[in-house]
Amino acid sequence: MKNNDVIGLLNFYTAPSLGEITENRPLGSTSFLGRYAFCDFALSNFCNSGISDIGLMIKDHQRSVLKHLGSMSAWVTNTKVGRMNIMVNEKGVLNPLSNTDVANIRENDWQLYDSKAKYLVFQSTHIIANVDLGPILQEHIDRGEKITIVYTKIKDASKEFFSSNLLRVDEDGYLTSLKKNDRQQEEALASMEIWIINREVLVDIIRKNAVWNERADMKAMIADVLYAGNIKIHTHEWKGKYVRCFDCFDHYVEYCNELLDPKVYCSLFDQPSRHYTLTQDTPPAIYGEDADVRNSFIANGAIIEGKVDGSILSRKVKIGEGSVIKNCIIFSSVKIGKNCHIENAVIDKYSIVTDGKTFSGDPMKYLFLKQGTVI
Amino acid sequence: MSTKLAAMILAGGKGTRLKALTRKIAKPAVSYGGKYRIIDFPLSNCANSGINDVGVLTQYESSVLNGYIGNGEKWGLNGVRSLTSVLTPKQTEEGSAWYLGTADAIYQNLDWLDMVDPEYVLILSGDHIYSCTYNDMLKTAEKNKADCVIAVYEVPMEEASRFGILVTDEKGNIVKFQEKPKNPISNLASMGIYIFKYSTLRAALKEDAKDENSEHDFGKNVIPKMLKAKKKMVAYKYQGYWRDVGTVDSLHAANMDLLLKKNDATNIYTVQGANKIYSADTHSGPQYIGKKAKVKDCLINQGAMILGEVDHCVISSEVVVEEGAVCKNTVLMHGVHIGKNAKVFNALVGPASRIEDGQEVNGTEDDIALIANGDMEDL
Repeated sequence: MKNNDVIGLLNFYTAPSLGEITENRPLGSTSFLGRYAFCDFALSNFCNSGISDIGLMIKDHQRSVLKHLGSMSAWVTNTKVGRMNIMVNEKGVLNPLSNTDVANIRENDWQLYDSKAKYLVFQSTHIIANVDLGPILQEHIDRGEKITIVYTKIKDASKEFFSSNLLRVDEDGYLTSLKKNDRQQEEALASMEIWIINREVLVDIIRKNAVWNERADMKAMIADVLYAGNIKIHTHEWKGKYVRCFDCFDHYVEYCNELLDPKVYCSLFDQPSRHYTLTQDTPPAIYGEDADVRNSFIANGAIIEGKVDGSILSRKVKIGEGSVIKNCIIFSSVKIGKNCHIENAVIDKYSIVTDGKTFSGDPMKYLFLKQGTVI
Repeated sequence: MSTKLAAMILAGGKGTRLKALTRKIAKPAVSYGGKYRIIDFPLSNCANSGINDVGVLTQYESSVLNGYIGNGEKWGLNGVRSLTSVLTPKQTEEGSAWYLGTADAIYQNLDWLDMVDPEYVLILSGDHIYSCTYNDMLKTAEKNKADCVIAVYEVPMEEASRFGILVTDEKGNIVKFQEKPKNPISNLASMGIYIFKYSTLRAALKEDAKDENSEHDFGKNVIPKMLKAKKKMVAYKYQGYWRDVGTVDSLHAANMDLLLKKNDATNIYTVQGANKIYSADTHSGPQYIGKKAKVKDCLINQGAMILGEVDHCVISSEVVVEEGAVCKNTVLMHGVHIGKNAKVFNALVGPASRIEDGQEVNGTEDDIALIANGDMEDL
């Protein structure tokens, strides 16, 4: 069902860097499992939760994001009622230090003022989970809350959710403290960077806080609100099966590979909620007579004539005869020639590896080939 | 601005020889190539030709097909100045009738064509597999000031008696038409693809409708009559991949044509040619090949999960091949489940069908086994 009372905001600002992969693109439009961009998952959550009025708060590298979004109809149910607005902070280009999510909202304040929506739901691009936002929002409304933060329990803060704040909450579910993840080996409550905020409350907070601090971001502002003490911040524990925070290159590799385990895969994909992405109308993947493929994700448009194991191949990747690809993540339109042997590598878009080349990274530290590399 | 060329796609056929596959869906909606339905080909061809007005004439088991065509968005035929209409038999002041033949189907929709007001009309079959644009064929019509251009395909002489055969003079003018002749004198088979000058077509169809002895069929009635009336009719030679798949064996063979071979024979990319074939977005997950899987010589769509062994197969989305299962020389359509240790050889398995654990299906290369036990809701 469609919910008129809500604006969904996809916040590209909170995403951490994955190193070189995200040098020329935001994490939100970075390739995931060969077929998706990261932002597809949060956008699908909005769509599956009936939230159709969407703002995309893009921090930088708009070209990459806009290319992935296409005509933007892939993530909306009704193409008239649904709308996706691009929110760009043009001033931020000249002044990167003050290019914050708050500045973006202020720059695009029509998104807030043009709307009669009472509630804003923020999601981030780097946390992958199938979250039905509907019940969480309903709880927020029923309880008459002003701000709700969604968190998940993690077993070891030294190993995951590096970019998230860790929460402490009282027995009534209200937030009592926030701290950066200082990677202590302990159980913790990690923010999933999903925030539900009443529109008027946000307008008010921005007016009070951001005006005198142009570098303030949403996370800092929420902390300010917490410590000012006049608004109680409610929390909601999300108890779903699969959630991962993609916060660094090694985790990117680790979490992608982990999905090759069918149990993990099914915890993300084997459920009613669908994942939408831009269709490319590429033909199905084709495997040659001498191909030998196992333990891999293969996207449409791939042409495989060699051996592939433990790898993720994106659209239009070509693997030549006699080549062996082991434990690699290969982005779209990469061409691997004949009789190559490549292990433990992430190969970015449009790269070409000519016949007979051999190279490998460390299983614990994958090699990265930049976009357009020719070897 | 009037329309140069409008397309009418005949998609009402039952496809009886495809047996259980077309029990609940019309032949144009039958799956093909792991990702497509057959009608994706003519519709994509229209889109790639820059044709903006497309009428799709449906009749037999049309629910799935009509829903699939929708407003033409899957083929981009929903932009400004575009019109995609599903044209089903309708009630009128004169009463109501089913489409009695290919020509009658167009006749009953002359009002739609009048509304579009095209200079030329392209008549297509919704159940042919080929990728092309119709621009050259239109040029042939314009250059020759033809009333009708018929696309022809060279078939082996010994098979010519199965087709409608055209005889042309040295300039390509059609001088004779033989419908399934016992002793063919040419090997140019009509592909059932016509471009008519609309004014000529309109008059011919009105005349045909009045003829009580007519079967209201283009090949049997309208074309021979126009030829007799000395209309300017020209053949257009089509070169490239083209299949009219009428039987389970030929549908299976056409699927296998898409596989990658070492020689220069056909594969998905040669069949697709320079243009893309558009299809529905199934919102599937990624295609997953399991640890114990063995995959070679296959065409596999997104959303498939292969845990067993597949060799020389065409596999559609949401197909699951469980561990220990072996499929060879087989087509697995959307949502098929192959149970553990099942063996499926030389088969065509219809949408959402289930092969139980350990079950064996043994077709032969000359007699492809058809399994179609899927839940109709999942077609």
